Amino acid sequence: MRRALAALVVTVVAVILLAGYETRPPRTVNPHSPLYTAAKARAAQAPRAVPRGKTAAGAPITTPYSIIQVQATVDKGRLTGVKTLLLSGDGPHTNALNRRAEPILRAEALKAGSAKIDSVSGATGTSESWRASLQAAIDKARGLPD
Amino acid sequence: MGMPVRVEVRDAGGADLEPVFAWLRRVDALFSPYRPGSEVARLARGERFAPHPLVREVLQRCEALRVQTRGWFDAYATGRLDPCGYVKGWAVDGAAALLEADAFCIDAGGDVLVRGGPWRIGIRHPRRRDRLAAALAVSDAAVATSGLYERGAHIVDPRTGTTPRGVLSVTVVGPRLATADAYATAAFAMGADGPAWTAGLRDHRALTILADGRVLTTVEDNLRLPLAA
Repeated sequence: MRRALAALVVTVVAVILLAGYETRPPRTVNPHSPLYTAAKARAAQAPRAVPRGKTAAGAPITTPYSIIQVQATVDKGRLTGVKTLLLSGDGPHTNALNRRAEPILRAEALKAGSAKIDSVSGATGTSESWRASLQAAIDKARGLPD
Repeated sequence: MGMPVRVEVRDAGGADLEPVFAWLRRVDALFSPYRPGSEVARLARGERFAPHPLVREVLQRCEALRVQTRGWFDAYATGRLDPCGYVKGWAVDGAAALLEADAFCIDAGGDVLVRGGPWRIGIRHPRRRDRLAAALAVSDAAVATSGLYERGAHIVDPRTGTTPRGVLSVTVVGPRLATADAYATAAFAMGADGPAWTAGLRDHRALTILADGRVLTTVEDNLRLPLAA
């Protein structure tokens, strides 16, 4: 069903200059930095998709801070592995429902896991790009033959 | 800074996305604080002029939210006009109104609006970026998350000017992204008082991740998807 649906899916990724949540003007990457040059060269050479099983790499995404590429592995429709292939930048920062009833507040323990998902909520700055690259990788892995 | 906006349409006929991106570009030209010629940048510099009706609408809604959240959501939280925290979600709500399709998912930098469904939306783990803290199955809804993650402070407590402590992230699910996003921002700024405040919100559900590893949530179990280890 998922596969049949995938054929009908139109996915468009566009980067627009709508400002995010930054409360300060963003710092910019120094284009003369050897780190930046090396990372850019690696990003250019990085494989766009890895046709091994169901693993795929998202396109490298360049931000004002860094260049990011993420690889996702999808097994039987489930996201099983995520690997950051490329993360570079200048500076320590970068290197590092609707029911009409009163909702009830419940406490539970924080879990860490994975699931078959269409999108991820929760990202700022570098992680926005990380997430964008991850999503591109998921989309690619979904489209690969079993 | 650039923000990726991703639109996924599940419609056999596809959809014309050009009006959506034209709208987003128009919003950016009016509201970006980083474009010196934008109306928001000019207002922030203290220029006097009659703002565009869309700018007036956003400023009015920001003021209404500031009152509703008792000051916790404040477009002037940083000391100068910066309505980005509202504009992002408002722009996506506007984009959704322009999109003629039965089922789509718009993702604007980690804040998500879906029509049709159910769509499976992961909530990013605040400490382990390759993991999810939760996953929800939502239809005709918006999911917004405010948190610190690794980029450092972007939300400040309007009362003290400092970053809230004790809370890692707040996710709000509601009918519109602009409101869900503003509520998530406000609840996050409230810190330890946020979860109780979210329990009083009508038509919204929230999931707050605390620094001590507890999750306080009003999201019903039937919206939760199981997580694999």
